[in-house]
Amino acid sequence: MVRFKHRYLLCEVVSDDSRCRLSLDDRVLVGLGRDTTARVHGTFGAAACSVGFAVRYLNAYTGIVLLLCRKEFYQPLWSALPFITYLENKGHRYPCFFNTLHVGGTIRTCQKFLIQYNRRQLLILLQKCTDEGEREAIQKAVTRSSLLEEEESAEEELSDSAGEATKATE
Amino acid sequence: MTATYERVVYKNPSEHHYMKVCLEFQEHSTGLTAAQFKQLLVLALKDLFGEVGAALPLDVLTYEEKSLSAILRIGSSGLAKLWSSLTLLGSYKGKKCAFRVIQVSPFLLALSGNSRELVLD
Repeated sequence: MVRFKHRYLLCEVVSDDSRCRLSLDDRVLVGLGRDTTARVHGTFGAAACSVGFAVRYLNAYTGIVLLLCRKEFYQPLWSALPFITYLENKGHRYPCFFNTLHVGGTIRTCQKFLIQYNRRQLLILLQKCTDEGEREAIQKAVTRSSLLEEEESAEEELSDSAGEATKATE
Repeated sequence: MTATYERVVYKNPSEHHYMKVCLEFQEHSTGLTAAQFKQLLVLALKDLFGEVGAALPLDVLTYEEKSLSAILRIGSSGLAKLWSSLTLLGSYKGKKCAFRVIQVSPFLLALSGNSRELVLD
């Protein structure tokens, strides 16, 4: 079928400075991504990547960014991400780097991966945290997410068995 | 009676491509040293293809300062990039110039003879 295929790059912005993540803005990111691709891959690379380039999801608290680009030109953009070394906001420069977690073809696959990744991160945080109050909050979050996980897998089983039943009757 | 045909295909693509090029300036009196010529090539690649393009394995095998002609060697994957950046190069230090590509071949020996300049007696 004829349609424009895309690649979604799920990245995490890692920085020592805590103000860096709060200053994430989608326009700033689009400009920064385009400038860095122009530096690394020249006018051709920048123009090729900018056609379908957009920021689809931005989480300032965890620093997770979902970038959209065309399937034919996602590699120059992906290879230019390590060259982004700082985020600039109102004249302040915050050093940071982009960690790519997942490349997916649709937003749904990226969302599934992000949910699993966040669950694993919660468990890691539980091991590493030092404060009692923090520990309780994280434990609550972990139990809530595991309940949701059981609900989700039960739903999937139900829909699978319903699908099998309809196939059998056909 | 059908004749049997045999097709022999050699899958040895050569690693390098060789280009014979000539640089023409609008003012014919400009001269370039070999180092300035190579810098011009790298600048053209960097303009169109960025740092990755400027890092392509490019060599200037011969260079004649009087006629501003040279033989270049480039890895085969970078031929299209080099040729397109030579085409789109418009000026050097404010002076207008253009690259004329005379011959391109995967074999260096082929650049020694040019059938266009062949004089038949």
